[in-house]
Amino acid sequence: MSARLPYGLDTVLRRLLPRDLGEPVAGDLLEEYEHVRGRRGAAGAWLWVWWQAIRLGAAFRWERAAHRRGVPPIAEELRSVTSMWDKLRQDVVFSARLLRREPGFTAVALLALALGIGGSTAIFSVVDSALWRPLPYSRADRIMSLAEQRPREGRWFGPIAPADFFDWRRDTGAFSALAAYMSYPLGNPRAYNLTGTGDPERVRVLEASPAFLRILGLSPVLGRDFRPDEETVGRHRVALVADPLWRRRFGADPSIVGRTIAFDGAPYEVIGLLPARFWWPGAPEVIVPLALSDHDRALRDAHFLDAIGRLRDGVSEQQAREDLRLIGARLAAEFPVQNARHAPNARTLRDALVGDVRPALLILLGAVAFVLLIACANVATLLLARAAGRQRELSVRRAVGATRGRVVQQMLTESVMIALAGGAAGLLLAAWGLAAFRAIVPARFAVLPGIAVIGIDGRALAAALIVSTITGLVFGAVPALAASDRHLGSSLTEATRGASGGTRARRLRSALIVAELALSLVLLAGAALLIVSFRNLMSVAPGFQPMRIVTAQVTLPGARYADHQRTTAFFEALYERLRAAPGVERVAATTSLPFAGADSRLDLEIEHRTADSPVPVRAHVRLVSPAYFATMGIPVVRGRAFTDRDDDRVPQVAVINEAAARRYWPGENPIGQRISLGAPDDWRRIVGIAGDTRHEGLDADIEPAAYLPQRQRFTSLGTGFERAMTIVIRTDADPAAMTGVIRGAVASLDAQLPIGMVRAMTDLIDDSVAPRRLDFLLVSAFASVALALTGAGLYGVMAYVVAQRTREIGVRMALGATRGQVLALMFRQAGALTAFGLAVGLAGALTVTRSMTSLLFGVNPADPVVLAGASALLTIVAAAAVAVPSSRAARIDPLAALRE
Amino acid sequence: MAASDVSALGEFEHVVLLAVLRLGEQAYAVAVRDEIAARTGRDVSRGSIYITLDRLETKGYLRSRLADPTPERGGRAKRYYTLRRRAVEALRESRRALVALWRGLEGVLA
Repeated sequence: MSARLPYGLDTVLRRLLPRDLGEPVAGDLLEEYEHVRGRRGAAGAWLWVWWQAIRLGAAFRWERAAHRRGVPPIAEELRSVTSMWDKLRQDVVFSARLLRREPGFTAVALLALALGIGGSTAIFSVVDSALWRPLPYSRADRIMSLAEQRPREGRWFGPIAPADFFDWRRDTGAFSALAAYMSYPLGNPRAYNLTGTGDPERVRVLEASPAFLRILGLSPVLGRDFRPDEETVGRHRVALVADPLWRRRFGADPSIVGRTIAFDGAPYEVIGLLPARFWWPGAPEVIVPLALSDHDRALRDAHFLDAIGRLRDGVSEQQAREDLRLIGARLAAEFPVQNARHAPNARTLRDALVGDVRPALLILLGAVAFVLLIACANVATLLLARAAGRQRELSVRRAVGATRGRVVQQMLTESVMIALAGGAAGLLLAAWGLAAFRAIVPARFAVLPGIAVIGIDGRALAAALIVSTITGLVFGAVPALAASDRHLGSSLTEATRGASGGTRARRLRSALIVAELALSLVLLAGAALLIVSFRNLMSVAPGFQPMRIVTAQVTLPGARYADHQRTTAFFEALYERLRAAPGVERVAATTSLPFAGADSRLDLEIEHRTADSPVPVRAHVRLVSPAYFATMGIPVVRGRAFTDRDDDRVPQVAVINEAAARRYWPGENPIGQRISLGAPDDWRRIVGIAGDTRHEGLDADIEPAAYLPQRQRFTSLGTGFERAMTIVIRTDADPAAMTGVIRGAVASLDAQLPIGMVRAMTDLIDDSVAPRRLDFLLVSAFASVALALTGAGLYGVMAYVVAQRTREIGVRMALGATRGQVLALMFRQAGALTAFGLAVGLAGALTVTRSMTSLLFGVNPADPVVLAGASALLTIVAAAAVAVPSSRAARIDPLAALRE
Repeated sequence: MAASDVSALGEFEHVVLLAVLRLGEQAYAVAVRDEIAARTGRDVSRGSIYITLDRLETKGYLRSRLADPTPERGGRAKRYYTLRRRAVEALRESRRALVALWRGLEGVLA
């Protein structure tokens, strides 16, 4: 027999197999080799025999290693199948034992990660539901929001004039349908008085064109949708009821369809029930057709509609904008007086809904990502320090045959375990944080889809899991590679000597600490900028005295208060009764209360002045009762306020604000001049100038405004304008107590009339700053966490360095170094790290804070005081973190240190 | 002593010992593997045979000797295994225990 084993196989077997097994095994293999060659050919047999040799070698190696570790031997064929999982399981058990043995380390790492991962998950949920999830409509990306733009005023998405809307709807080729709805600010749909069954109640009603629901791609779950002709006055008394109202007020009775309900005493037939998933900003409870009178339909000067449209199939957004532009240009040519200065504009519905809050949300996401990074760096530092302490153990493991890969795998298992545990704790934290967020969700976020029901869902869970795992791998990889990459002999000896880790490990620790310091500084600078902005904002004077003012909205139904006389008479009587109530000092009313959102702007014509001035002449128009300025505490700086005699029997008058006087009569005296608002030749003589007030918010610019006396008829804004007033009462009484007083006074005049929410003026101002407060509170919270983590990280590193250098410090002190010198030594080391971290952080802050401009108020993103303050705070924390271990170093007893 | 020997024997070690016993003077690795395959239908990897034989020898259940080299093995020696006395006792004890346990169960599990 000429069979021979491949060259070298004998040697390999002798090397791999124990004692004198090599030769008989080679012989055994050769016996089978012949058979195999017959079946598989020479090459196949060659491969086969080598494969057997390697497998046998590996099996004996494993057997030996298992024997040494005391792992009970198991049959090899089982082991080869399960070895991967088995190793993992082994690692998990081993890691868990290690982590339990060091509860301090584990707790700190878990806390850091829980904060980082929890914060990220919570903010991710908010951002996801607001910015990334599809809106709850069918093919929502095809729905556009339409608006009018005024490029010369820098306004891009303003409300639409009715006549314009109807022209667009008639002429557009790009949209399959357009629907207008009554514009409402700050997510507050118009409140209707639901009367009839039970107590009168104010419900949020959306007045929208019949195509509204169809454009959203929704249809009623019971009953039918609006018919096109139901936007005609007379045929418009039909209503679609939303699910929450149906359950609350009508006990989820399916026979609601066909029933009649009353709004302000006028009967409406319920024709359909909206699907439970119906959502629209402000959560309207009922939709009724937008039925405008012929007078209102023809208005081209008054802008009070919003609109949505669904793109025709195959039409792009760009084509739709072009289509609207052409229509706008034609209208501008046809109606130069009214339409020359504005044009149609369109953006996606999502942009319209979340465009304003996107920067704030993204900044929050960025801030929380920084916290996560800091947490990672922190845990990586801890792991590095710990790995240095474990150097001896690792060296022993490698010396007895563990490969580098095996050691790295075990350490990564450990870090991923920490991260997953931290992630689990973080999820609890996130769920808790979101519950808190839901409770305080400010008005500005309330317009976001799904924000009220936001919670930890599958996507957030997946995000948390992914973030945790990646986090574990990232912060674990650095120390694991660093720790396993040592020369066996050197670390065995070095570790016993107590040097503070190798050069590479030391550099890594320094880099991580510098990164933590830098990231913290960026966060601190961001938080400080937001705090300063908020402080600046709160120090803005609103222009009136908000203390002790209570407000309540009262809207009269058009059906029973059709004319000017009846409306005025009702309010006059109401003021009278309220003035008589105990605790009431003054009573007044306005159509547009500051900080309540509502305001209406009209073109302003000045007598004897040419119409085409380069800047558009416009003013907000506010109907007020005579006592308004005195009640609100708005000073009349020139001329007079209104009196009870300013009614329809005398020439019409107006009071303008200082901004209007400055802008339209610079260097002149406007008193005695005549203006016309929104209608030609409706002249009103200016009798006074009132102080400027902030209206849309403390951070909003003050715009020109004209106040008109409530008793003088004003029709440019439609007939409903004067019927929706907000009562303002200056009182010493508690707002809650005033609710009963106001309700009683209103009921004594009209039992069918509910009142809106009674709010203290200070609460309204508070609400208006709530989003900014939330921004700065959240970012400050993140910055605090970052500061604490960084302090803890710095402390940990310095404590470790001190522990490792005890012997060296002892030698120094034995040779005559003073405690001061030892302290200086420690502080020099920490100081260098801190200075480096601050430098990197400042550069980062200057880059990052620039993107925050839209969130800042009255402060420059590169404000030197803010940056210096943030740096100082970080330095103090760093010094405190270093002080404790350093003083421990200075107290080292040289003799004891040397004896160790 | 005998009882603890039984418990110290793994199931696969048991199988290997029986195969060696059956083969008598001819028990070497390849033959043991073939015997197990022929009798039980179990296709066992070479590694586990060698390791188990080696382990059983270390534990004192088997004795081995190197036979003279033969030409069909390229001049390489063969390692033959035989049972030591304590292995025979362990198997006897284990059989006794198992048979005792099986008694009366034939109808249930046959």
